[in-house]
Amino acid sequence: MAKLRRSRRPRTTLLILLLASITIITLDARGGLGRVTSGVKSVAADSFAPIRSGVNDIVEPMGSFLAGSVHYGAVRQQNQKLQQQIRQLQQQRARSAQTEQSLQQLSAVLHLPYIGNLQTVPAEVIDYESSNFAATIGISVGRDDGVQYNMPVVASGGLVGRVVQANHHTATVRLISDGASLVDVLYGTPGAYAAVTGEGSGKPLSAGLVPINTPLSVGELFVTSGLNGAIFPPNIPVARVTGSKTGVSATEESVTLQPLADLTNLRYVSVVLWDPASP
Amino acid sequence: MTARDTARVTLVVFAFIVVQQTLMLDIRIGGVHPDIMVLLPMAAGLVGGPGRGATMGFGSGLVADCLLPTPFGLSAFIGTLIGFGVGLATVALDRSSWWLPTVAALVASVLYEVFYALLGSILGQPQMLHVGVTRTALLVAVCNAVLAVPAVRMVGWALPKVSTEGMPTSMAGSLR
Repeated sequence: MAKLRRSRRPRTTLLILLLASITIITLDARGGLGRVTSGVKSVAADSFAPIRSGVNDIVEPMGSFLAGSVHYGAVRQQNQKLQQQIRQLQQQRARSAQTEQSLQQLSAVLHLPYIGNLQTVPAEVIDYESSNFAATIGISVGRDDGVQYNMPVVASGGLVGRVVQANHHTATVRLISDGASLVDVLYGTPGAYAAVTGEGSGKPLSAGLVPINTPLSVGELFVTSGLNGAIFPPNIPVARVTGSKTGVSATEESVTLQPLADLTNLRYVSVVLWDPASP
Repeated sequence: MTARDTARVTLVVFAFIVVQQTLMLDIRIGGVHPDIMVLLPMAAGLVGGPGRGATMGFGSGLVADCLLPTPFGLSAFIGTLIGFGVGLATVALDRSSWWLPTVAALVASVLYEVFYALLGSILGQPQMLHVGVTRTALLVAVCNAVLAVPAVRMVGWALPKVSTEGMPTSMAGSLR
């Protein structure tokens, strides 16, 4: 009778690869590989940007063509032509509306009233939430445009997030709705400090460090505090209060907020060339 | 693996990452976009056995990690486990069954997304558990189930067709 004996090679492969993965994760988390992984990610993002752009240029017209031809059926030739014309006109109108909206957004990010004398770099949003597990966007400017790690990013309504990775020609921005985002803010008169955190994409923000029974009205504005050494410059609008309640045994108020920038429909943003070390 | 196989695997991984980073990011169902990178270790495990599944999971995971904002190496770690697991779980099954890629894609995708969120949260990214893991896992699984058959064919084209890797040696011998 043949003896059942499993090959050991796959298990050895598994062990080696798991050890390699754990080593990479650990070194990256501890900062040992931080520069290397950041460099690799930067090179990958820079190399991939033209590919992404090229593929989108090819795919978008094909998608429009396919979308336009989905409803073709047993209609007559003349009707088909007429429908096609109508569709083309509708597409033109939709494109015009889209262009107008883009123009409005671009114009808005170029004239941000709350930025004051700070220098900004306008950028197009080229990538929206590349992972289901992180609220981030990719933007069309990078180190070559003066963008650095941790710089604030704003849009027409207010604060959008901060740069978490600056590549040569692109950058990744962590939105304030991301669970790992933390913004020092100021609210009320004369002004109390709090911390606004994200709860995930599409969810309202929450504010911490607000003492219980603080009289907060719906619509109250939270702005960046600009504390000494803070990542964000002062007085950038962040969010408005949508609700607050005091838990039975809570030590602080539970406050929910709505971001002022429309984080779900970002086309253009501005990177504030702000260095916290030299305010 | 020959140089030709390596070139084919590289081409397939490249094709998957391009499609993921372009077409798939534009598709949003309930705020979730498909994640076809999960299909690579799954298909490699199915076509080439546990060892090749693990290797594909590691390699494609590292490539994906270069373009993701999540911890570096996380996709490689989970991909390695998924590739090996699929290869091992299907070792005694008829891998040419029509339903196997779809079922494997469903199960592998759910496990991948759940472990991804869990390990991410353990590695200092607690927000990864706040994104609706169940909804993400289910939507990704359904999308991948639909795309499983073409994915297995592509990976099958890149990898050698028959593998007895991971099988008990008595069974492997009978297949040679």
